[in-house]
Amino acid sequence: MTITTIQARRPASRAWLRMIQAEVKMVARTPVGVLLPLALPLLLLVMNGISLADSEAGVPGHPGLTVLDVHLVPVVLTLVVTMIAVMNFPSFLATYRKTGVLRRLAVTPASPAMVLVAQMVVSFVQVLIGLAIAFAVGVLLFDVNPPTDVPMSALVLLACAVAMYSVGMIVASISPSPNAASAFGLVAFFGMAALGGMFGHVENLPEPLAEIGSRLPFGAAVEAFQSTWLGQPVAWENWASLGITTILGIGVMTALFRWE
Amino acid sequence: MASATTAPLAIDARHLVKRYRGKTAVDGIDLQVREGETFGLLGTNGAGKTTTVEMLAGLRRPTTGSVRVLGLSPFGDRTKVRQVLGVQLQQAKLHESLTARELVDLYRGFYPNPLDTDRALAMVELREKAKTRFGNLSGGQAQRLSIALALIGRPRVVILDELTTGLDPLARRRVWSTIESLAEQTVLLVSHAMDEVERLCDRVAIIDAGRIVAQGSPKRLKENSGVSTLEDAFVKLTGKSVRDDQEEG
Repeated sequence: MTITTIQARRPASRAWLRMIQAEVKMVARTPVGVLLPLALPLLLLVMNGISLADSEAGVPGHPGLTVLDVHLVPVVLTLVVTMIAVMNFPSFLATYRKTGVLRRLAVTPASPAMVLVAQMVVSFVQVLIGLAIAFAVGVLLFDVNPPTDVPMSALVLLACAVAMYSVGMIVASISPSPNAASAFGLVAFFGMAALGGMFGHVENLPEPLAEIGSRLPFGAAVEAFQSTWLGQPVAWENWASLGITTILGIGVMTALFRWE
Repeated sequence: MASATTAPLAIDARHLVKRYRGKTAVDGIDLQVREGETFGLLGTNGAGKTTTVEMLAGLRRPTTGSVRVLGLSPFGDRTKVRQVLGVQLQQAKLHESLTARELVDLYRGFYPNPLDTDRALAMVELREKAKTRFGNLSGGQAQRLSIALALIGRPRVVILDELTTGLDPLARRRVWSTIESLAEQTVLLVSHAMDEVERLCDRVAIIDAGRIVAQGSPKRLKENSGVSTLEDAFVKLTGKSVRDDQEEG
């Protein structure tokens, strides 16, 4: 047998670009999947905005800010990120795995990890679009104010997105099928969101549940966003929750995620 | 299509064994395919063909044994092997909502020296379907597109798993013509279709219950078995009917 001299060449940057383009085209051609993550937070914003707008309740010690700014907008922003990262993202991955798309890619010089990265890039763009739409609707209909500390708010958004995608990877790793991924994603989403303030103030929850909710990434992200609206430092417990979730997600993914 | 017996080995598998949870799927296979050869791996469903292919392609590590493709390990030299190996997998779909052209464009981006998109589509007679989404292609068209993607990187070794399963006679003949046009590549054709293997392959290995029970040219296998068709030779060597097996699914 001859030993063949072949220079190992990983796919060029154009391959990454084409992979991202392909993902964009697929989302654009089947837009139904992104309707819910964009529509539900908007619905929550508008319904709560209408009921809260009449009260014109301000926030004590923070002139110019309303209850809408400090309580509702952070929940809506966290919802957009969580729905896309925890429900949509693992569902797409599980479908690719089930249909053999990842398996097919695994026999090319491209790593299936390219799909993962392309999916994350495209779905993060969806997150940004969802946030922009939600904020624009808030400003136009309810005079929502921007956060007092905009750079810190951007940092919280990044940490929230990384943590939620990690939860999405946990869902993708433990789900044997697309249906299971949808079910697990839904359970994870509602579990975190219900305890984190999606259905009303967490103060209305029993103390132990409220405590658990604030330690989960959804509640931690909401609290962190609230701090940036109030211009206060983000509590270390919130950073810790988002950081631990990320580490946990990476650990589970490394141990359990299978391409086929 | 025929190649000299002195040509270097393109695929060299030695004592391949694969066990899953106590079940032995592949049980000590030795397989040597020379450069330029079209080699058939023939067996019933569950005989171990696909598991063997997955080990050759680097998708599954053998429990024991070694694999070399052009002298390289599909596991240790993953990137290098995938540059020179084109694989068409059984039951592996493509992105449903992308068109044939978009898929070819996507896959050619993975290789350092790919075929031109139009040439790849023309090679499998799909230029007129370039703007059709994969999900809207017929079975034969989808299969031909899969072959185009296996060949897009100008591979030196091509593995084709269940090439024409489920295709109508006309579609099968079109796919065969495509394979017959591959003059320079080494082709490993995995099939349970006797006519296909007999028409396309220089040599054939018959695999049964994870083992190779016979190998040689189709003509030699028939002569050695004292029968006139490859199917009869297969039945005699394995004691099984491929048609019955196909019907059982």
